[in-house]
Amino acid sequence: MTEGLEQKVQRWLDEAATAMGGRPEGRRDALLELEATILDRVEERTSAGQVPDEAVKDVLDALGDPAEVGSSFLPPAPLLPPAQARPYLLHTAMMFVAHFLVTVGATVAEHPFSLGPIHIEPIANPRNVIDLLVRATGTLLFDAGAVLCAHVLLSRIGRLSLLRRMTLAVRPDARRCTMNACFLGLVLVVANFFRDNLLALYLPTPDGVTQIPFAGPGIIANLPLLNIWLATAIVRELMYAQRGERRFTLVLDLVSNLFGLFALLRIVATGRLVDLTLAQEVLGVNADTVSALLNTVFVLLALVASATLASRVVRRSWRLKLVRP
Amino acid sequence: MSSLFDKIGAELRRGLVQIVALSLLRERLYGYQIVKILAASGLETEEGTLYPLLRRLESQGLLLSEWDTHGSRPRKYYELSPEGRAALPKLEEVWRDITGAVGRILESDSPAELAEAEAK
Repeated sequence: MTEGLEQKVQRWLDEAATAMGGRPEGRRDALLELEATILDRVEERTSAGQVPDEAVKDVLDALGDPAEVGSSFLPPAPLLPPAQARPYLLHTAMMFVAHFLVTVGATVAEHPFSLGPIHIEPIANPRNVIDLLVRATGTLLFDAGAVLCAHVLLSRIGRLSLLRRMTLAVRPDARRCTMNACFLGLVLVVANFFRDNLLALYLPTPDGVTQIPFAGPGIIANLPLLNIWLATAIVRELMYAQRGERRFTLVLDLVSNLFGLFALLRIVATGRLVDLTLAQEVLGVNADTVSALLNTVFVLLALVASATLASRVVRRSWRLKLVRP
Repeated sequence: MSSLFDKIGAELRRGLVQIVALSLLRERLYGYQIVKILAASGLETEEGTLYPLLRRLESQGLLLSEWDTHGSRPRKYYELSPEGRAALPKLEEVWRDITGAVGRILESDSPAELAEAEAK
């Protein structure tokens, strides 16, 4: 085959590769296979007496649009299986309603108030409809992204029953459960006995090493709650290791996870999870700036997750249209 | 109208390729060999359909693959894995059930009578 014809084949393969997406090493196999097929076909035609130029053209025409061939190699991996679309929308709506009510409360309240573990501080200024709408939009984006992440996690875990769907931890074997229990035990010991030394950042300064603790007031004030949660989690892991996945271990799992969520909400409500006060003094880091930055990161993550979902949905419906008679 | 029939026909064939490819891969074959065998058998299948399917079956553990670099160009050979060999008879059984059911439906004069006969 002449250099020009080789370039023609290469161009076709490059276009197919672009449509395949993914990592180059993942595409390599498929491209080599396609290239071998093209060369086999061309060889057959030239052996039968066809001019190479025509043979290449005919083979590439027969293979079809390289973008279409390449895209057919894309694995059908929707973020959410179709069966989960309705529960996803329902859970997002539920979370958004709760979140929205809290936002409304924070926007119109004159004084701080508490709802169970959630502590609501009024938003100082401005308290108007536009501000509420902006916050509600941000809330919706965040909820859509957060629920999507939770659903994707749950679908990857692949638990079947309702009880299974409500538990989060992955427990494929006894060895991993035992390792989980050991890790949780380590966290329990560190949080109680070595908190000041281990949950800290050490910075070299001209006067020596400065210790910046980052166990914030939220963790310290709610340590008993955290201890109870860690203890139930350790028992849960040991029960899983010993008895496997049974109804009572799943119930224990669910209770432990709900308790963990409650503890987390209490910690968040009580105060900062991470203490940035000292970091502010030593490093000149503004705690509010860090907080704003973290919020921005969360909203961006939610936007990316939502956009990914939307593009999957659009592509899916586009594909469905293509195959419908 | 003919393009509509082409589309439906292509969809039907696409559904069949999976079991046919598994059945062919009781022997070690490379992709283009399978394309040629299918075409010779009257089941013309595009590379864009077959190759992704082979990769999917491989990732599902039903096929094993191996690159052979000894010839004039590298070739990826596929063959049934032990799991694939175990699954094939079951798939063949499913296939026979499907063809039987489809045949009965296509040949029946009255679908209602067919439903009554099935109920008995």
